[in-house]
Amino acid sequence: MSLASSLRSVVSALFLRSHHENEMDEELRAHVQNRADDLERCGLTPAEAERRARIEFGGHEKFKEECREERGGFWLDTVWTDLRFGARMLRKTPGFTAVAILTLALGIGANTAIFSLLNALALRNLPVPHPEQLVRFGVRSPGDDYTGLSLPMFQEFSRTQKVFASAFAWSGDGVVNVEIDGVLSRVDEFAVTGNFHSDLGAVPEMGRLISPEDVKLDTAAPSQVVVLAYGFWQRHYGGSRDVIGKTLKIENLPFTIIGVTREQYRGVSADAPPEITIPLTAEPLIYGSSDVKKSLARPDSLWLEAAGRLKPGVTMQQARAQLRALWPGIQQAIMPADQTVAEHNRFVALELKVESGAKGASFLRHRFVKPLYVVLAISGLVLLVACVNLASLLLARAASRSHELSVRVALGASRGRLARQMLTESVMLSLGGTVAAFALADWGSLALSDFIVGQIYTVPAGLNLSPDWRVLGFTASVAICTGVLFGLAPAWRAGKEDPHAALQQSSRTLGGGGGLGKGLVVTQVALSLVLLVDAGLFIRTLEKLHAVEPGFRATSVLDVSLFPKPQGYKNLARVSYYRELTDRIARLPGVESAGITHMHPGDLYEWTERMCITGTSGEGYTSDFVMLMPGAFETLNVALLRGRSFTWQDDEHVPRVAMVSKKFAEMVFPNGEAVGQHLDVLTRPKWQNLEIIGVVSDTILYDVHKDRPPTVYVPSMQYGDYMGWSQLLVRTNVPPTSMADPLRRTVESLGHECAMSIKTVRQNIDRTLLQERITAMLSAFFGALTLLLAAIGLYGLMAHAVTRRTREMGIRVALGASRGSVVKMILRETLALVLGGVLIGLPCALVATRLIAHLLFGLSPYDPTTLLFVAGALLSVGILAGYMPARKAMRVDPMVALRYE
Amino acid sequence: MPSQAQILPGTLDLLILKAVSLGPLHGYGVLLRIEQISGGALLVEQGALYPALFRLVRQGLLKASWGTSDNNRRAKFYELTAAGRKRLREEADGWNRLATAIASALNTQAEEV
Repeated sequence: MSLASSLRSVVSALFLRSHHENEMDEELRAHVQNRADDLERCGLTPAEAERRARIEFGGHEKFKEECREERGGFWLDTVWTDLRFGARMLRKTPGFTAVAILTLALGIGANTAIFSLLNALALRNLPVPHPEQLVRFGVRSPGDDYTGLSLPMFQEFSRTQKVFASAFAWSGDGVVNVEIDGVLSRVDEFAVTGNFHSDLGAVPEMGRLISPEDVKLDTAAPSQVVVLAYGFWQRHYGGSRDVIGKTLKIENLPFTIIGVTREQYRGVSADAPPEITIPLTAEPLIYGSSDVKKSLARPDSLWLEAAGRLKPGVTMQQARAQLRALWPGIQQAIMPADQTVAEHNRFVALELKVESGAKGASFLRHRFVKPLYVVLAISGLVLLVACVNLASLLLARAASRSHELSVRVALGASRGRLARQMLTESVMLSLGGTVAAFALADWGSLALSDFIVGQIYTVPAGLNLSPDWRVLGFTASVAICTGVLFGLAPAWRAGKEDPHAALQQSSRTLGGGGGLGKGLVVTQVALSLVLLVDAGLFIRTLEKLHAVEPGFRATSVLDVSLFPKPQGYKNLARVSYYRELTDRIARLPGVESAGITHMHPGDLYEWTERMCITGTSGEGYTSDFVMLMPGAFETLNVALLRGRSFTWQDDEHVPRVAMVSKKFAEMVFPNGEAVGQHLDVLTRPKWQNLEIIGVVSDTILYDVHKDRPPTVYVPSMQYGDYMGWSQLLVRTNVPPTSMADPLRRTVESLGHECAMSIKTVRQNIDRTLLQERITAMLSAFFGALTLLLAAIGLYGLMAHAVTRRTREMGIRVALGASRGSVVKMILRETLALVLGGVLIGLPCALVATRLIAHLLFGLSPYDPTTLLFVAGALLSVGILAGYMPARKAMRVDPMVALRYE
Repeated sequence: MPSQAQILPGTLDLLILKAVSLGPLHGYGVLLRIEQISGGALLVEQGALYPALFRLVRQGLLKASWGTSDNNRRAKFYELTAAGRKRLREEADGWNRLATAIASALNTQAEEV
């Protein structure tokens, strides 16, 4: 058929429908009339002639249907009819429709939300021109995660490479104090080379961005200019357009605002845009370097990250090969002369890493992609359960529609046509669910990303969650697959409908579809079991992690970040100042003890050093390294086991001292007394000959996932510059929140520092458990959803079975079966289904838990408690879902039941 | 179409084309014409005629127009298009070749092999 004629038939099917219908009716009627006339002429009575003509013609509606099919454009016609009929059927059962759409909205919405998050974290490219050209490179110690470059390394690479059109570098880990009109805040800061903005194709919202003139790498007096992010500008300046030329203070140094980036700009980060950006050369300045030129020229300080834009036609592999070839020469060229042996060894061991930079850097990706994939798998499983559930509900509905379907078959509907009708209805349901799901997913992914980002960054979520083709494609395919999947069973059954049997009333036994329905319920229970076991394991993991107490009650210890007021540290006698501060805080009502440290208890990232016994050589021992002041041990509940503890007299005027944990003492001095021995810090030439004055009990100060590590403690009073920017730890015996104000006032009253953030150590720990919390939270939500679906599915099937078997029940009761035995019978059937599901589900669950074993903590993937609990939960849900229909069956009045048909 | 099952597929279309080629006809007329030209030997299931007519129209082999029948009823008349005429010729040739071949095959005597 030509295109024109198919178009014509589609158009005429669309617009001339009723006209065609009338004509066809008229034509067929005329035929019968003509025939009747002829028969009448042969001597039959008019009535008899009419009857014979009709019989000879055959199934009127059947041929009409065939004619419609032959007319062309038919598919469109049927789709339209199916849609209208489907809508009518769905309207007739609003309860079922609502449950179905809600189930699908939750299932598809959850999947879309999690996929959106994954998409933003792991799949999307940076919103810059030609992101695929970006290649990141840097060096790292073997086995180390951290990759970086020193400025001399970067300069050598840029000078000698021929694969990049240009290369740029930045330092992006900074969180700095910014003062705007006398108000201090903590701000994420980026320091960049002069071509950073132009190479990323960034365009200013207003003003100008950082240019090569701002970043002269050989300067001693860097230009102090700053570019604001759109969000920062909105939050701190209310979007006022006259900020250009104004000054703000970074670490108390004045910087002139030269421009604002656009709202979409997020630099090289997929997580969040840098709030402020300054020239690379100004970075040493704000970290208090007195000689900028010397700081920049340090060859072994890996403080930069770098990327290049590939020249057209150059591949990643070629770039990697060339950079790798260049690296040994660069290493030789910039080799520092004045290194210790350890420093030298570390420098030579540095290896080059080259990878695609298209997706941008993301701290969140590193930590959340794996758990998110697990959660996506779980939510996919939930959707599958929802499909199975809907399939069994639809099947039950199809069974009660069996009479209608039989009549339609008898009137000439083809089986394919009926199946198509059922599929249309299920796809309609799933599309309805998808529309609702989109709203849900939008809200869900935003809430989730706000929650995650809010725990990690100081800025609001910057993840790009707007739906792109991937998300839309994902949702659309999920929706359609879902619709087809749960519509398939009823459609298949509709296709098998036998008009004779159905028309003769088939409700005497459980009958057709029962087997399929039971199979679906068993599948659903098995899937639910897999899902619930996983959810249970995640929840128990979190529980175990929560139960880890770091040696003190984490809820009653406050962690207060201290920051200098402007000029606050100038000419300050720090030791006596901190002694005074600690004393004053400790005297506050409600405070049990207080002490200063330089770490956040509960944080993931520990300070480790390699230690060796003074006078020996070799690799040394890796140990956590903690600086603190008197009072901190008491606050952290660390007990002195031998020797003495630090006092305020252990300052810069006396030889350096240290304390070690029991584990460290046992590791380094297995046969002797640790107290009195001397230690060296391998990589710090000046930190040598530390005398061990005491041994303390083991404790967990950092990551609760890890066992109590060997630790070396030193008094910060002996490390002059390290004394500022510290953490004040306070143990209270009153609700910690009530202490915030007195603490702030006391710190301020001394005039040198202010308290920026006050958190309990529990909050610190919770932050490090974010990944586990999110996995547990989401899988608990999905688990509850699954359990609900399983209950609906079982209840639906049993209720339906009871209705269909009313007559059988009536006969049983009439013949003397006790009502109790009827209840028992129904319950037995339900339990058999659940048990079948559990038996099939158990081995599947055991396989599935092996896949998530690496995300668990403190329990085996075959944790019997979880398995038993989940199986028990499913059985109870099964009993509950079976009991309600059973009670209904028990109340069947034999008279009513027998008269029912 | 159980009663048509024994008849070779496509035969109905060919018969309709032939019937209409002798002059425009309405649906019932086609039926009568086929009975007439086949000497009453071929009996067409009446209802099945219409899907076939719709199909031929869609394929552009027939063209339909409304007119008035002998007994003054409004009726839809079918006539052959140029394409239909061509198709009829081809199909008739094909059919004749097939029929001749089968007939000669069936008439073969033992001594001729």
